[in-house]
Amino acid sequence: MNQRNGGRFLLISLIAVILLTVSLFSFLAVNVNHQSLDAIEDVGKIYMNGISEQSALHFRTTIEVRLEQIQSIVHIVPQSLFSDRQALLAHLELNAEARGYEYMALFDREGHADTVFGGELTPFSQEIFQSVLQADEPRIFVGSTPEAGRLFLFSVPSQLPMTDGDTSTILVGGMPVDYVSTLLFPETEAPMVLSYIIRKDGSYVLRSNDHDDTTYFDQLYALFGDQDAEDIQRHIQELTDAMSRDEDYTTLIESDSARRNLYCTALPYSDWYWITVLPFDSIRTVITAMSHNWIIAVYSACAIVLLTIALLFLQYFQRNRRQLRDLEESWMTAQAAQQTAESALEVAESSQREAETAEREARKANKAKSEFLSNMSHDIRTPMNAIVGMTAIAIANIDNKEQVQNCLKKITLSSKHLLGLINDVLDMSKIESGKMTLTMDRVSLREVMDSIVSIVQPQIKAKDQQFNVFIHDIPAENIYCDSVRLNQILLNFLSNAIKFTPEGGSIQLALYEEPSAKGEGYVRIHLHVKDNGIGMSQEFKDRIFESFTREDSTRVHKTEGTGLGMAITKYIVTAMGGTIEVDSEQGKGTEFRVTLDMEKAEAPEEEMILPDWNMLVVDDDKQLCESAVSSLLSIGIQAEWTLSGEDAVRMVEERHARRDDYQIILLDWRLPGMDGISTAKEIRRRLGRAVPILLISAYDWADIEDEAREAGINGFISKPLFKSTLFHGLRPFATIPGEEELPEAPGPLMDFSGKRILLAEDNDLNWEIAEELLTAELNVTLEWAENGQICVEKFKQSPTGYYDAILMDIRMPVMTGYEATWAIRALDRPDSKIPIIAMTADAFSDDIKRCLDCGMNAHISKPIDVREVARLLKKYLME
Amino acid sequence: MTLQECYAALGGDYADVATRMPRESMIQKFVLRFLSDGSYDLLCRSLEAGNYEDAFRAAHSIKGVCQNLSFTTLQKSSGELTEALRNGWTPEAEGLIQQVKADYQQVVAAIQAFQKEVMG
Repeated sequence: MNQRNGGRFLLISLIAVILLTVSLFSFLAVNVNHQSLDAIEDVGKIYMNGISEQSALHFRTTIEVRLEQIQSIVHIVPQSLFSDRQALLAHLELNAEARGYEYMALFDREGHADTVFGGELTPFSQEIFQSVLQADEPRIFVGSTPEAGRLFLFSVPSQLPMTDGDTSTILVGGMPVDYVSTLLFPETEAPMVLSYIIRKDGSYVLRSNDHDDTTYFDQLYALFGDQDAEDIQRHIQELTDAMSRDEDYTTLIESDSARRNLYCTALPYSDWYWITVLPFDSIRTVITAMSHNWIIAVYSACAIVLLTIALLFLQYFQRNRRQLRDLEESWMTAQAAQQTAESALEVAESSQREAETAEREARKANKAKSEFLSNMSHDIRTPMNAIVGMTAIAIANIDNKEQVQNCLKKITLSSKHLLGLINDVLDMSKIESGKMTLTMDRVSLREVMDSIVSIVQPQIKAKDQQFNVFIHDIPAENIYCDSVRLNQILLNFLSNAIKFTPEGGSIQLALYEEPSAKGEGYVRIHLHVKDNGIGMSQEFKDRIFESFTREDSTRVHKTEGTGLGMAITKYIVTAMGGTIEVDSEQGKGTEFRVTLDMEKAEAPEEEMILPDWNMLVVDDDKQLCESAVSSLLSIGIQAEWTLSGEDAVRMVEERHARRDDYQIILLDWRLPGMDGISTAKEIRRRLGRAVPILLISAYDWADIEDEAREAGINGFISKPLFKSTLFHGLRPFATIPGEEELPEAPGPLMDFSGKRILLAEDNDLNWEIAEELLTAELNVTLEWAENGQICVEKFKQSPTGYYDAILMDIRMPVMTGYEATWAIRALDRPDSKIPIIAMTADAFSDDIKRCLDCGMNAHISKPIDVREVARLLKKYLME
Repeated sequence: MTLQECYAALGGDYADVATRMPRESMIQKFVLRFLSDGSYDLLCRSLEAGNYEDAFRAAHSIKGVCQNLSFTTLQKSSGELTEALRNGWTPEAEGLIQQVKADYQQVVAAIQAFQKEVMG
């Protein structure tokens, strides 16, 4: 705003100054030009009048010189010659001729002529000649003689004897007009000046150049009359008037084409007038040129001044703008600084607040911790007391076997409880000290779910709870994850659900996948654990993921636990980059939802394809049916589904009637109405044993196995039904229909022929299995080391490069796999960097980390999976 | 008695072992070979002698063998025993030892029954 105003003001001032300058200079140019034109015109007039006067004066002098010449000729006549007329005339003639005269004569008043030489004179005007004869003073006039032609005649009074005895009154000398003209109008004079000698009536006596006009007035008419005859008439009138008054006359005759200055003065010794005409044009040209130059000079000066002003303005303007900008910048800087200061203040305030909050939180955490500690010490003391007390009782009743057994049972329970507490506390302290690590490895969700289901089954059975597993939409069965920690999360949720759900309640575990926001290579995994148990209060729900909290109510006091489980779970989920949510209502139940974005592990190389069977899937969960059907389709099987046993029997019969039997039937164990076993019995009753029937169940089938086998069920597939679960569960039946052996594994899985591998393994049977599997499937040469020490020895004694890799069991007598690896890595051999792959029954992330820490390259867990071994060997041997 | 039935009887997962071993004959061979594995004897002897370190390793070995052969039930109990003995004796080991013994007997019984049929 300010800036724009400033700019406008500057612009207006600039324009004003420019206008002022231009008008000032224009005024100067015009006015001064005008004045100077006037002045120069005046000067011109003065100059021309001067020239005219000069010319007239020149005329007078020339004439007077001639008149005196003639007089002197008379004066120098000796007295002696007066008597001798002949001698006198000769003398006169001689002197006159010498002075350039071409005519000389004596006249008396009556006009009698006594011609000295030059012939008889004919005057131009008789009238004038008469006046000359009568005059007693020198005169001039014009006439002509046959001999000399036109003559300019000078007459002086002179009394000289004449032929007839009279005395003359005047002596007349004549000179050719042309000669006098050259005298009067010298060539040197400014050629632009025209001079004439005229008579009163305007007729020419002499003129400087030849014109055809008979009078000067005619010439004037000829020159100007076309434009303005009246004007010329007026001038001629004025001229004649001035002539008759014997006054000098000066005027400017102007026309479009010319401008002349006319000067007229009476001439002495005659009735003639001297006319000088100066053409003003040439002067004017000079003056105009001068004024042009002047105007150019003025405007140039103006331009220079303007330019200078403009430059100055520009400079000023720029500087102004720069200053403005600087000003603005500094203003902005100032503002920014102010803002910074303000935000700094805010930050300071907020950090103060934060500090206060932190302090409060620290205090709270401290309080929580000390509360926790007091709770914990109570918690620890209780089982510890039980252990100590029970031990004392047992010792006191050492002979009472029943009593001792009872004591030992209680001691075992208490110890288990105590161990659980301590494990949690140890985990938490690991988390708090930042030492918990995630070991990301390929994990099969199927295996994870399988193991979870098998772990929680006994507890669920013990509390007689309903357990449902919903798994659907699993495009990526294998992911990269820490399987131990994932297990821990699920176990935590499930054991809590079991713990806080009364007997006969129900627990659901759901797993499904979605495309991940992290990109193609990732998959979003949803894990939901829901129960209809006692739920949580809103207040506790808000703090459930904090450490050292446990709902403090009589309802849960009898429930064991450290209260660390959820904090640990939360920590693990966060470390995996996931989120955790909880919904709960007291008396209604609780639902935990975990969302994880995990990297997909590439699908195993084997292709899961089964014969194109027709199958029937029977389950009361529609979602499970649809998911199973789509999984089956992806392994090459056409399947139909139905929700009840009755429908299943009907459908099987219909197909049988069409001679288009299902080749395999999958039956859920727990079906509403007719359950799986009854359905199987019914099918067997009607159709015999031709079609294999498999029972699908999330429960341990050990209890029902006998019954199921009796009912004609051929096998079991455990829920959750992953694609691979179905594939592996169904594959054994691929041989049944044709009663042919499945084509044996087509040769080795991968060819590592020529590679020699040292396998350290203390167990004979494991060694034999490994040897047989790896030799048959991978074509490797395997050598056995029974423990770590033998392994090191064998490696030490082998030539360099003899072994290509070492597969190392960890738990071995004499020397463990860790120690053996240290020893091998410490050897001074070029091949001491040989790939060492740990092979162990432990799959805890700590163990894996320790393997890698002590210099092993990779870790595989038992059971020996040839594909995994092949993958790692390929990675370390082929690269 | 088929090998599958033997697996069902001993608390194993035939489908699982079948994914890792290419031939039924191979599985059968190792299942029968299980009877002569010395880990169980070592476990019993170490426990009697109070050598829990060896006992731990023996339990661990059993667990490893069971993993390789998919003897699920025994694998579970031996695995639990392994953890119970990992840092020396713990109270819960006692119960687990009984469990392992029971499971082991079940496995041996099933295999022996199967062996009888195979050998004719």
